[in-house]
This record gives sequence, structure tokens and C-alpha cells, in this order.
Amino acid sequence: CWDKRELTDLAIISAIGIDRTNDSNYVLHLQIINPGNVAGGLQGGGAGDRPPVSVYSIEGNNITEALRKASMKVSRRLYFAHTNLVVINEKLAKEEGLDFVLDNLDRDTEFRTTATFVVAHKTKAENIVKILTPIDKIPSNKVNKTLDFTEAQYGRVVKINIQDVLKTLAANTMAPVIPGYMMIGDDKKGVSMENTQATDPKAILQADGLAVFDKAGYLKYWLEDDESVGAVWLMNKIQHTFINADWGKTKDAVSLQVTHQDTKLVPKMRNGRPYIHVKVSVEGIIDAVKYPFQLSDPKVLAAIEKALNKELEKEISHTVKKIKKNKIDFIGFGDTIYRKYPEQWEKMKDTWDKEYLPELPIDVKAETYIRRTGLRNNPIKHQFKDD
Amino acid sequence: MEKARISIRQLFVMIIIFELGSSLLITPGSMAGRDAWIAVLLGCAIGLFLFYLYQGIYQCYPNSSPKEYMDDMLGTKLSWLFSFLYILYFAYIAARVLRDFGEMLLTFAYHDTPIIIVNALLMVVSIYAVRKGIEVLARAAELLFGAMYLLGAIGLVLIIVSGTIDPHNLKPVLANGISPVLHSVFTQTMYVPFGEVVLFVMIFPNLNDRKDVKKMGMIAMAISGLIVALTVAINISVLDVDLTLRSQFPLLSTIQTIKVEEFLDRLDVFFMLALIIGGFFKVSLYLYATVVGTSTLFKEKNPSQLAYPMGLGILILSITIATNFSEHLNEGLNVVPLYIHLPFQLLFPLFLFIVAVWKKKRREKSKGEEAKK
Repeated sequence: CWDKRELTDLAIISAIGIDRTNDSNYVLHLQIINPGNVAGGLQGGGAGDRPPVSVYSIEGNNITEALRKASMKVSRRLYFAHTNLVVINEKLAKEEGLDFVLDNLDRDTEFRTTATFVVAHKTKAENIVKILTPIDKIPSNKVNKTLDFTEAQYGRVVKINIQDVLKTLAANTMAPVIPGYMMIGDDKKGVSMENTQATDPKAILQADGLAVFDKAGYLKYWLEDDESVGAVWLMNKIQHTFINADWGKTKDAVSLQVTHQDTKLVPKMRNGRPYIHVKVSVEGIIDAVKYPFQLSDPKVLAAIEKALNKELEKEISHTVKKIKKNKIDFIGFGDTIYRKYPEQWEKMKDTWDKEYLPELPIDVKAETYIRRTGLRNNPIKHQFKDD
Repeated sequence: MEKARISIRQLFVMIIIFELGSSLLITPGSMAGRDAWIAVLLGCAIGLFLFYLYQGIYQCYPNSSPKEYMDDMLGTKLSWLFSFLYILYFAYIAARVLRDFGEMLLTFAYHDTPIIIVNALLMVVSIYAVRKGIEVLARAAELLFGAMYLLGAIGLVLIIVSGTIDPHNLKPVLANGISPVLHSVFTQTMYVPFGEVVLFVMIFPNLNDRKDVKKMGMIAMAISGLIVALTVAINISVLDVDLTLRSQFPLLSTIQTIKVEEFLDRLDVFFMLALIIGGFFKVSLYLYATVVGTSTLFKEKNPSQLAYPMGLGILILSITIATNFSEHLNEGLNVVPLYIHLPFQLLFPLFLFIVAVWKKKRREKSKGEEAKK
């Protein structure tokens, strides 16, 4: 048989990191699973002191060359069907864009384009692939799960896979965003098993911000923390997050935990010029209050809803301003116009980012509904004597 | 392969499997871009008309083989020539379908395996089935139809559950007007897969009941048209139009996006199974048509013996028709529809249909006159 593969001859690759050397060679970091050391777990015992993955770094003029060269270092045949993470160097993404790496990965039949894509932020891709992580043994799983849960719980990042990026780049009405990942701590200590044997790991991996690319696939700027949440709202990808609103003099007097939301971008035409109406409807539960609200009174809730609306509109408008200033339409305002007004879009599409986007009127309307207030109605009153 | 008898239900499932065979593999109506699904539906409408022609000819001559009624209509010499051309046509399309599936397997799984091995394995099964005769093939179709149907239903549910379908990708509908869609209908979808049903003129004489052919055949065509259009629409809403058109095998790319709760994913092999079932039937039915056609043309007493040489010929043809996959696809898109499908699927059957109806009328008339006398 020509295409037979034995399980014992496969090196199962869980993550790929792509860096570049100074003399513009690519370096591939392949995170390979050591099956024996992963399974160890509770009963194995002996496996505990050896790392669950090994990372090999190979240099080459292009990805294909580096992969073939890898056979000199790895004793088995590289197997990509289970790769679920691709990390690309920040500098590489800025200078060379994504095309070269995406085409290779997309064309390959073994590699799955459902793998998550992240940009190494303020660090090399190497570190994201090499650091050992304590709770999830395989670092690529840790990165994936963190992104999943952060997207679901906090709403500051989105999980993006290679196919999403390909689709966006191809659509030409949108630009891609890719979540960033950083390493905090000591990269020398992070690569040994010691890192997983302390309660306070010396190096940890952390999701961090969103990298915004232009339509050609070059990294342009980063959206960090509070700026990114507005973007995630606009992308309609928020599942749970919180909204804080001030009340009188009290800062962050009330926190709403978002349970459901739906954000709609509604394109309209006024005198032949496009404008976008953003409609956000949010449902949530009161999570915490710092002010003696009579939460059992529906009128008070209605007033709080208003305050929350204002806060959310402010948050989103802030991001909108930034998007307009940077002239990159990664939310897909242009896309909604294309879907609804394809003929008018034909005229706008070439100059959309440069001319239309900075001038595009976007109004944001939020509607919050407080459904429940948790297990208690009114807060403890005596805390707030000064008010 | 003597006096085989197949039921109308078997015909029904065979038409559906045959229509789905390779149209699930490629993108029918790719020229229409985002509106490919509309092109498929319109193509299906024309396909219904074509099917009406084919079964109309058969209804005029219910007890004779295609060669026999062509003798009656055109005279033996012309009829011999056309029969011969039809045999070449069926053999060529069989080779094309075989190549399609061989390329799919090579691209997806067996990079290092020579294509002749993969194609030969597929062909061996088809030869075996054809040697056993159309009855066996029809019964196998009934059996495997269930399997294919089940796989399709599971696939649909899993794709929906994975949440990768974004119907927004289907908008804007008809952004460039109706003309690219019509262009695609008349150059792509009406021939492949719908016009290909012309093959069934070779099957009709084996039917044990000709009453419901029109009704059931048309229902089968309409159902397969809907399934193909649905598949195309799902492909586009999952992959978006660009990726669908750049994919060699869009359905498999769509299947790859299935991911249900971190444990149900990488199911493409599972669905390759469904595609191979369709491919097997398509190749087998074409091979059957070739074999039967040749045996009546050359008055061979034992047609099943012809399955070997014909199968081998088709196998060799499937390897030699193109040097690479792009060339193969290019021929399929630009040359075959206009120069091969159009005459064999539309022009010639239409001509025969008119002649057949005219002759039938005259026959009835003369019968009526005789009765008067």
C-alpha cells in the first residue's frame, strides 16, 4: 500500500508556531504530543515528570522546506490532522501578511482549517508553543479553551479559526481580526516541567487583545481590553459579559451580567449615502450594586436600564470612533451594505475603507432588559450611610 | 442480462442516486456564483422537460430497445451510426465520472497511490455489478439508497448543530441580475447532473410496468434537484462563495467544518462513503449502458461477457483523458457540455421524440382507417 500509516510512526502535532529569523528565514515550531506522558495522569505516576509535549524548531526558506527538513529532527512522520492551533509571529504578520502561510495550510489535505489562529503578542510565536501549562497538559488545548471561555464569559476576545480568516480575506467586504496571545513571565523557566509543578507558574500564557488586519492580510493595529469589548459587541459575538453603570456620584454603582444579547447592524441609504444603524438588545441579571437601590421596584429597574443603555452606547461608540479613525472595516459595515444594496456597493467598494468608512454615520441604540436581580432583591442598606 | 425486470420503485431510487452521484462532489452551477442554487433549480426544471422527452420516446415504443426503435425511425444505417456514437458517449462519461472519484480519493487521502490503482478498484466493483445484471444493480440501489439517505440526514443535522451555517452568505440574491444564472443553467446545470438522465433510456426497456414512469421519474428528478440545490446552498452558506468556488470538493470542505461539542468532528471519511456509493452507481449504470448498447449493436449473445473489456477500456480512458486534475475539470466545464452533452442530451433526443410522436400518430391514424374499412 502506498499510503499506509502506522499509529506508532506518527508524530501528532498539536500546534504550529511560525517565526522568522533575522536573515528572513522562517522558523517553524512544531508542538508534538508525547502520548505516553499525556496519558500518565493519576494512575501513571512515572509520566508526571516528563513533559506531555516536545517542541522542535526548524528553519527553512519556506514552510514546505522547513517541514521536510523536520524529518532530520523528528523520528516519526509528521501528522497534522489533529493540529488545533496555529501561532504566527506579530512582526511576521505585520511585514509579510497572512497569504503565504494561509495558502499552504489551506491547500494541505491533512491539516484542518478549523484550527484556531492566534497572533503572538509582544513575544515570539516560539514561546506560545513552548511554555508548559499546568492545568491542561497540552498547551494548545489550554490556548483553545482559554479563548473559548474568555469569549463566552468575558467577551474581550473572539476565537477565530483559519477558515474564518480565509473567508474574510476572500470576501473583500471585510478585514480579519485574530486574537492575540502573550506570555507573561520567564520564557527560560516556562519550558521545563518545573513550570507546572508550582502553584505560581513562572511563565503563563494569556489571551490578550485583538489584532486587526487590513484586507490584504497585514497586521495593522491592536485593540486592547476595553476597546476590544466594543468590537466584540459589534461582531455580535458576546455571550456573557458585564456592563457597569455609574449612578449619580457612585462609580460603577451597578453591574449587569449579560445573559442574552443580539446586535444587529442595519444598513440604510439616505440621499445615496449609506449609514448604519446599530441595534443592541441585551438581557441580563443584576450582579452587584454599590448603591442602595430599591431593586424590588420596577421603576428603579427601568431607570437602571436607562443608565446601562447609555453606558453600553458609550462603550460601543468609542470603539466605532476608533474603527473609523483607523480606516479598517473589520466589523463588516461594508458587508452589510453589500448584502442589502449590491448595486450601490459596486460604486463604493474600491474606496470604502479610505473614503466612506471615516465619514460613515453610525448610530448606536441599546436596549437593556433587566430580567432578574439574583437571589436577593434590595441590597444591604447600612453600607451606604454617606449617601 | 436477458429479460431482466425492475420495478418502478427501483427506477425511482436509481434516478435519485444517479443524479446525486457526482453532483454532490463538484459544484453544479459554479458560474452563477452565489446564486448557484437558483441555477440548480432552473436546471432541474429543464431536466424535467428532458426527462419528459426521454420517457416519451420510450412510451411510443415500449417493447423495443433503443436500437430497435431507432431502426424504425431512421433506417438501419443511420441508426447504427447513432447507436455507436451513444455507446462512445456513455463510455466517455463513465470514464469522466470514474476520474472524478479517483481524483477525489487521491486528493483527500491517498497522495502516493497511483490513480490507476484507485480507479481500478472502483472499476472492478462496477464490472462485477454489471456482470450480475441490472436487476442486481437495482436491488443494490434500493439497499444503498437507505444508507445514503441516512448519511445525508445525519450530515445535515450535524452541520446545523455545529452552527456553521450563515444564511447571510446567500445574500445578495441575484446581485448581477439573472443573466449569469441563465448562462450557468444553459452551460452547466441542465447537462450535469440533470440531462445525464438520458442514460435511463437504456434502462426503461427493463421496466416491468411502464404506467408510472413519467410520474415517478419526474418526482425523482425533482427530489434530487431539491437535494442538490439544498446542498449547494448549504455549501455557500457555510464556506461563503469564494471558498466554495475555490474548493475542489466543496461538500467535503463543508463536512470538515462539522464540530459538535469538541467530540464529533473530522467526519469527512464517513461522508466520503456516501459519495462513493453515488459514484459507484453512476459508473456502474454508464458501464451497463455501454455494455448493453454494444451487445445489441454487434448482436453479441452473451452481453455480460462484454463487461470485462468495456470496463478495462473505460478504466484506461479514465486515466488518459487528462494529464492533471485541472485539465480534467477544464474539459468538463468548457468542452463537454456544449459539444458533447448538448447534442446527446437535448438535440438528438428532441429530434427522436418528434419523429416518434409523429410516427405514432400516423400509425394510429392508419389503424383507425383500417378499422373503418
